[in-house]
Amino acid sequence: MKIFINGTGSVSPQETAAGAAFWPSFIPAEGNRRKVVDPDYKQWIDIKQIRRMSRVIKMGVGAAQLSLQEAGLWQPDGIITGTAYGCLDDTGVFIKKMVEQEEQMLTPTAFIQSTHNTVGGQVALLLGCHAYNNTFVHRGHSFESALLDATMILREGTAKQLLVGGLDEITHFSHAILERFGLFRHHVDGEGAAFFVLGTVQGPAASACLAGVQTVYKPADTAAVLRARDQLLATAGLGWADIDLLVLGQDGTADAWYTAMGTGKPALGFKQACGEYPTASAFAMWLANRVLSLQQAPPELVLQGKLPSKINNILIYNHHMGSHHSLILLTVC
Amino acid sequence: MEMEKLIADLKVQIIEQLNLQEVKPEDIGDDAPLFKEGLGLDSIDALELIVLLQQHYGIRVANPDDGPRIFQSVRTIAQFITEQKAAQA
Repeated sequence: MKIFINGTGSVSPQETAAGAAFWPSFIPAEGNRRKVVDPDYKQWIDIKQIRRMSRVIKMGVGAAQLSLQEAGLWQPDGIITGTAYGCLDDTGVFIKKMVEQEEQMLTPTAFIQSTHNTVGGQVALLLGCHAYNNTFVHRGHSFESALLDATMILREGTAKQLLVGGLDEITHFSHAILERFGLFRHHVDGEGAAFFVLGTVQGPAASACLAGVQTVYKPADTAAVLRARDQLLATAGLGWADIDLLVLGQDGTADAWYTAMGTGKPALGFKQACGEYPTASAFAMWLANRVLSLQQAPPELVLQGKLPSKINNILIYNHHMGSHHSLILLTVC
Repeated sequence: MEMEKLIADLKVQIIEQLNLQEVKPEDIGDDAPLFKEGLGLDSIDALELIVLLQQHYGIRVANPDDGPRIFQSVRTIAQFITEQKAAQA
């Protein structure tokens, strides 16, 4: 059974919500932190509701609305999100107040909005969607787990169109703490939200299919990841030779993982555009879908090789902190 | 004069506490309804206002049934604060 990507939406450190092919102009990183370029959220959210939404909620709701608009869908059969950090900023606000006010007189808004499933809940509230609603919090595999859940539900036939997304935010505190751990010596901190309408029937805007998702947790070596890759491709009836383009999670400096995966293939790097965060692969899937749709790629992201004249199959390979590896296969439809 | 200052302070505090973006103190009428009409506040906002009274004025709303009367407008909140302060004095 084919799973079509009927709609996509991305709010990212590039102007991906502006309606251009990829973005109006590439925004390079300044320093070691990339912040989302906020679109005008009031086009999707009533001003009375916006006031209770922290940044990540607005990012998520905006990306979800963009994907629904593209798919021409107003009521999905379920909403599935993946997030590692959840509503980190509101969690910080609430915990800070708990400490400062000695657990007295705590305001309800930060508490209500600080759970990981707030974005999925807010999207459902705005749509009036009472269907399946689930959020996966699996660190660097959060988005992939959401995709796997969606894939299984669609194949079971209990849903025809699902809204699936991945999102994470940076806060001042999280950036400072992770920076002290030395996390951003080689990477740029990032954030973003990307949503997709996945369906078993091809919509008018669909140009790609989600052909497979594979995760590998703490692989022993690069050979283990390559075995997982070959297994994923075989399941989709493809071989390594069929992959026209790689989308890799490296942001400039290759490591052994990306070097092993990237041998001999043209490749794009997506973290040069969005930075490093646990659900960055959602941005990669948005990018790969656009590449398949437009049959072109942003020149700023080309890591190696020349783009083929026809791109049929794209393999996204990402790892988060060397422990959470994932492979997402998109094919043209 | 004291009542006017209290009303002015409350408007600023309400905007801050409820994160009423794009609302200025002068947009809130002294006697304008806060819930349903006017600012269109809801039950979560009511909780935020109760916390506001505790934090800024040290006043607890003991009886929830008094809520609709107290939170009818900025002026009724100011009157409630004045009454409570007088009772505490």
